[in-house]
Amino acid sequence: METLTVPGHLDSLSIIGAYIMDAARNAGLDTRPAYRLRLAVDEIATNVITHGYEEAGKEGSVYLTASSDSAALTIILEDTADPYDPTTRAQPDSLDLPLEERPIGGLGIFLTIRNVDTFAYERRGDRNRYTFVMNLPAS
Amino acid sequence: MAFEASLEMTEGGIAKVTLVGELDGSNAADFRTTVEEAASKNCKRLVLMLGGLDYIASAGIRVLVFARQKMGGGVEIFAISPTPQVNETIEMTGMHYSLRVLPEYDAAVVETF
Repeated sequence: METLTVPGHLDSLSIIGAYIMDAARNAGLDTRPAYRLRLAVDEIATNVITHGYEEAGKEGSVYLTASSDSAALTIILEDTADPYDPTTRAQPDSLDLPLEERPIGGLGIFLTIRNVDTFAYERRGDRNRYTFVMNLPAS
Repeated sequence: MAFEASLEMTEGGIAKVTLVGELDGSNAADFRTTVEEAASKNCKRLVLMLGGLDYIASAGIRVLVFARQKMGGGVEIFAISPTPQVNETIEMTGMHYSLRVLPEYDAAVVETF
């Protein structure tokens, strides 16, 4: 699919969600994995916009590209915020504790990693690149 | 799709919050405001009607955490009719340990103290 470029504002999240759902439909992904992919991408986009751009006082865009073959649907999300590798962050390991005893941080990243088949980060030039892969069922 | 959170107080002290649309980082603050409003009315129960909620991101889950902390231990929180996808996220984040999830509104359970 053609690359989607949206401003790094939280208002862009619904456009990003619609783009992912379109890509999932085009690739033949079922409702449940489509939802999970959308959630995974939305969480990273939210982090990029909130921490990478807004809190850092930076203006920038979010770039999304969907591509698929018979085996998988791949979404690539890029931004020009400062380098940030979420895969190095500690995951919450206390989800079976009652809420009152549990730290909240890292929930978005946790949902990203749990909901896609492959998640990867790399820094390319002045961009962060996040790759999300959903395997397609064998036809 | 847009997001809406509306609050209705019953005479029995039940705060019923109906969520419709897609709850993400752009609108979670609206939901939080509604929860604060319910808390300010000293409700005995918080009932979240989720049948029309198509999507919930971690920003929405954080408001559920906030609700649990804001309401205090004596106020039971119900999540009614979540879609399978929303319910999956509730379970994945462990929220089902803190909320009582019901497949449909059951007055015998929700309105019995």
